[in-house]
Amino acid sequence: MGLFILRRLGVMFLTALCLTFIVFWLTNLAPNLEKLAKTQGNARMSDDAVVSWLANRGYAQPLPVKYAQWLGVAPGYVIEGSDGQVRGRCIDPGQPVGEAPSFCGILQGDWGFSTVAKENVSEVLPQRLANTGKLMFWVMMVMVPGALIIGVLAGMREGSRTDRSLSTVSIVSTATPEYVSGVVFIALFATNTFGMQWFKGSASSAVQDATFENFFLPVMTIALYGMGYIARMTRASMAEVMTAQYIRTARLKGVSFPKIVLKHALRNALIAPFTVIMLQIPWLLNGVVIVETLFTYQGFGWELVRAASNNDIEMLLGVSVISVFVVLLTQLISDIGYVFLNPRIRIS
Amino acid sequence: MTSSRNSIHPAALMYAEEAKSGQLSRREFMARTTALGVTSAAAYGLLGMTAPAHAAGHAQQGGTLRMQMEVRALKDPRTYDWTQIAYITAGWLEYLVEYNSDGSFAPMLLDSWEVNEDATQYTLNVRQGVKWNDGTDFTAEDVARNIEMWCDKTVEGNSMAGRFAVLVDATTEKAVDGGIEIVDPYTVRLNLPASDISLIAGMSDYPAAITPAGFNPETMLDNPVGTGPYLPESLEVGVRAVIVRNEDHEWWGYAAGKGGFLDRIEYIDYGQDPSAWVAAAAADEVDMTYETVGEFVDIFSGIGWEGSEVASAATIAIRPNQLAEVDGTTPYADKRVRQAIAMAVDPAVCLELGYSNLGEVARNQHVGPMHPAWADVPGLPYDPAKALELLTEAGMADFEMEITSIDDDWRKNTTDAVAAQLRDAGFNVKRTIIPGSTFWNDWTKYPFSSTNWNHRPLDTQILGLAYRSGEAWNESGFANAEFDALLAEANSMADAEARREVMGKLQTIMSDEGVTLQPYWRSLYRHAKPGFVGWDMHIAYLPQIYKIGLAA
Repeated sequence: MGLFILRRLGVMFLTALCLTFIVFWLTNLAPNLEKLAKTQGNARMSDDAVVSWLANRGYAQPLPVKYAQWLGVAPGYVIEGSDGQVRGRCIDPGQPVGEAPSFCGILQGDWGFSTVAKENVSEVLPQRLANTGKLMFWVMMVMVPGALIIGVLAGMREGSRTDRSLSTVSIVSTATPEYVSGVVFIALFATNTFGMQWFKGSASSAVQDATFENFFLPVMTIALYGMGYIARMTRASMAEVMTAQYIRTARLKGVSFPKIVLKHALRNALIAPFTVIMLQIPWLLNGVVIVETLFTYQGFGWELVRAASNNDIEMLLGVSVISVFVVLLTQLISDIGYVFLNPRIRIS
Repeated sequence: MTSSRNSIHPAALMYAEEAKSGQLSRREFMARTTALGVTSAAAYGLLGMTAPAHAAGHAQQGGTLRMQMEVRALKDPRTYDWTQIAYITAGWLEYLVEYNSDGSFAPMLLDSWEVNEDATQYTLNVRQGVKWNDGTDFTAEDVARNIEMWCDKTVEGNSMAGRFAVLVDATTEKAVDGGIEIVDPYTVRLNLPASDISLIAGMSDYPAAITPAGFNPETMLDNPVGTGPYLPESLEVGVRAVIVRNEDHEWWGYAAGKGGFLDRIEYIDYGQDPSAWVAAAAADEVDMTYETVGEFVDIFSGIGWEGSEVASAATIAIRPNQLAEVDGTTPYADKRVRQAIAMAVDPAVCLELGYSNLGEVARNQHVGPMHPAWADVPGLPYDPAKALELLTEAGMADFEMEITSIDDDWRKNTTDAVAAQLRDAGFNVKRTIIPGSTFWNDWTKYPFSSTNWNHRPLDTQILGLAYRSGEAWNESGFANAEFDALLAEANSMADAEARREVMGKLQTIMSDEGVTLQPYWRSLYRHAKPGFVGWDMHIAYLPQIYKIGLAA
């Protein structure tokens, strides 16, 4: 077991390394750097000014050197600019050159500086993650019980009218991507077009003060998508359990139907959905990007979109690192959790 | 503020006669006379009218405003490229002069100014009794230091150097020796090597915020020294910025009756999609828009908000670049091709399809009736048949023109309207749409593309910025010695009536050369929840936030 976890962690670091290098390479392509210079300097800057702006801030160094500096295995640059000002990767504004450390990469715990937010990445990302965490918590609170109830109800009598109608609902909800359901929800419930203006089409105020009104639509948009999928899995697993020998035995013994479902079938039927729910978390990150942008909710996905559209290099790298960890950690948890739920499986 | 002066610029008296006899519109009159140092009250007096009362009497002290606005990172004011940045810093960094939508220039940190006959000497009288919020006095030294900083062309992206180009030494790229003279603690004199009529207008523009001694853009939020009534409370780029009243500072404006009503102003960022702004308005998350565009003007009125409209010189230029190379040739260097383009496009159609008729038709000259010295010069006629003839004559009938625009609402639609009309005329056209995040990387280099231009108060300003040979923002690649010479001549004429003759020649060159398509002037709109006063849309987007208040 220990070895298994160690190996998984090793894969995680290797993936993070590869992914960040790809992101680093893409964000450091010449046109992207030019865009960076123009958004940071002046939108209508001349070509010469762009070149000197980039050179003065260390962007003109070779790619591997820059990447090593971000990692913290090479000393950060110190460049005396063409304007006479000395700038260094590790020099904070106002700090004397001599006092700055020579290494400042992610290995030293320095996540870098966001050029858009004008703050350290390590200060911005936790806030965004907290916001997304709040959103995800409510999504889970709606999605998991909802999906399990639908799945169990549908699966306990396979082929019945309840099963058919609930299955249809869950297929429709999984088949509707967030960017469709979000827009439909806003049109239906946040405008006066259909006379049902019950909720708010903007979740910006939910960052500080989440209410039912401003948080319902984004939560439902994400939850519905995942809910259908998990319900389908639960239904399949439930249906399978209901045909098992011991259930038939219980019925022959005259145990009441509700008792069979709750006491005998449910526990075994929930093993498969557990994995699905864990694996659904990385999928939800996808939805978060769309929904947070659509509802202007300043979370992790919104930050990703903003960093990408502004070529905010170090913020994008930070986002990539966290994404890798979220995806691989949830997989690890689902693998380990599976072992505990199902004694027949053992990790060697 | 007129007590220190007893003479009125002779040209101003002449303008008054013209205005009374109807030769000059009131707005033109206000712009010209106040630029010469006449106060707006005195200017109205010359017309035999009284100055309009301010909204001040109807506003209550206190309250919060939440405005939908893009929140951008702060930087050195000289390098501001978005007025939205100035909306935040205007809370504590004020301006020497303010430009108003009626075309007048009103003194702010200056008390008054005088300009000599040929506009080579400006005398700036600094307002007395103004204090920085760290307690020190605001003096002529501060004014001189800021003007010197504006003239420093070595600073990357310093657009003030363009506005004060006349004071910049070509070799040192700094202010000319003896150009800025401190006469006494409250008087600064500018001695210009050549005439320039646009300096007062330049001082009123949004990058001309007055910064304190030892100003450092990196720490401007931690150490917000300024003269204004507010202080920054928080700023999160792309999310929100908040400024709050500086309770410990006695702002000069309170005594001068300027306002400063609100206790707190929140700017909240909803991105660039206007439908998100409507959602925010419907959700009661904001009280006011920064600007309302296109079809959203009606939508905002539809949800019960009040609208404010101002006709401005803001516009769109869809220009071929004469230097641009396409497959080894320079297709737009040929005057006939450019004329053909101009003659194939009906400006009225561009206005209707591109901007829902929310503006005035223009004549491709980038000078308009809102400018003091605009001359009534006809543009090229709309004649698609003749256009195709010209194009064929130039041997370019088969050439595929690629027209680039940003991916947005009105700029894309207007460019589409141009492309459609060119196709109708028989041209071979390809449209390319580039997202806003990358469009500006190369905006001056596209062979044929559209650019939005903001309003400038004086007629010669935009010509100098965008069409003078070799200028950084000269996106049409236009280089014409005669044009440059005429422009220099126009820039030495403080008298707009005399300048009009030269402007006529300049406008004729703009038309005849087919330099650009500039089909219409935009009206600007802003909407607000009922209950606010003093929030009217500004003709040049200037951040006059101290005027806004809750209705009493």
